[in-house]
Amino acid sequence: MQVTLKVYRYNPEKDKKPHYDTFTLEADPTERVLDLMERIKGLQDGTLTFRRSCAHGICGSDAMRINGMNRLACKTLVQDVGKKITVEPILGLPVIKDMIVDMEPFFESYRSVMPYFINNDPPPNGERLQSPEERERFDDTTKCILCAACTTSCPSFWANGKYVGPSAIVNAHRFIFDSRDQAAKERLEILAGQFGVYRCRTIFNCTLACPRDIQITKAIGEVKEAIATGKLD
Amino acid sequence: MPLKRNVSFWEGLKYKGGGPMWAWILHRLSGLGILLFVGLHVLAAFLTAQFGSDAGIAINVVYESWAFQIIVYFSILFHAINGLRVIVLDFWPALLEYEREAIWAEWSVIVPIFGLATYIIITKALGG
Ligand code: HEM
Ligand code: SF4
Ligand code: FES
Repeated sequence: MQVTLKVYRYNPEKDKKPHYDTFTLEADPTERVLDLMERIKGLQDGTLTFRRSCAHGICGSDAMRINGMNRLACKTLVQDVGKKITVEPILGLPVIKDMIVDMEPFFESYRSVMPYFINNDPPPNGERLQSPEERERFDDTTKCILCAACTTSCPSFWANGKYVGPSAIVNAHRFIFDSRDQAAKERLEILAGQFGVYRCRTIFNCTLACPRDIQITKAIGEVKEAIATGKLD
Repeated sequence: MPLKRNVSFWEGLKYKGGGPMWAWILHRLSGLGILLFVGLHVLAAFLTAQFGSDAGIAINVVYESWAFQIIVYFSILFHAINGLRVIVLDFWPALLEYEREAIWAEWSVIVPIFGLATYIIITKALGG
């Protein structure tokens, strides 16, 4: 079938303002939007610029707005979005070129919640044990690939880039509810601050955008609850 | 030079967040709307009682018109029911897995109540 791809273009060396280019190409319904973009870059316009690495939904490089909604280009089939496809960069991060945005503010928020294991007890001889139930408690939030689809779909983040955003909260949740970790209190204190969880208005865009199907709004709700009650169950 | 991060109002509105995002937008609009309606109401009463001014009466004529009442009624009804949904989901985050169902449930309460009241308001307005 014939597909038209309308693509957001911005070249920092030439353009003052972004514009859109339209490409027409033959595509299979089961091809992915990423395949089409690769083909345009290879055969029609080599200057088209976007990130991608794994092409299998696991590196988190190619989050973009496809037909108005954040998705991974490598997980979005042509048959799911139709013959007319619009591709734009994710919102709320500075656009460097075409689909490439500056991810640094996003990673700065990520680092601010201490997204690593903290336990100051001397390491045991074997592993640090945990029951299957304790492991299950934070299973959902271990799946994040840091693609930023959630954070850049959030109206609160659009309004104020200092909001740590859903992704950072998801990654804090992963350690806050880990029975082996000891820094839940510090993380909850950070997230109770001015740019923490209370910027969340339960809008739900993040959950719908997540390519890993993480129940993000629920995770944020659980963090709010832990802050309010001081309990971690 | 990278472009600035600013997201314009329209750019945000065009995002396809679907039903949940629109529920939030309507919640904010209706919340600000209620603030405006109550403000107008108080202002009209104040102007009439304090100065016996015609402006107060003019405001009331608009305020009490059936079209305006329908808008006020929708805003308050939507804000209240949607607000209850948000409160329930805030207290029991586990229920957020059923966000879609919650939105449907909400509209299934709002539509009949709003429909009935609108019907009554309009038939009264037309019937004199
Ligand atoms: C019927 C009783 C009411 C209920 C149950 C209710 C409930 C709520 C709730 C739960 C929120 C928080 C929403 C969120 O965090 O996403 C909220 C926000 C708000 N409410 Fe109400 N409310 C009521 C009446 C009013 C009235 C009378 C006004 C105006 C004077 C008002 C104006 C607002 C505004 C401006 C917001 C901010 C909206 C936002 O954050 O997006 N509400 N309401
Ligand atoms: S929570 Fe989901 S949408 Fe957000 S960064 Fe992680 S994988 Fe991407
Ligand atoms: S290219 Fe790695 S997630 Fe899509």
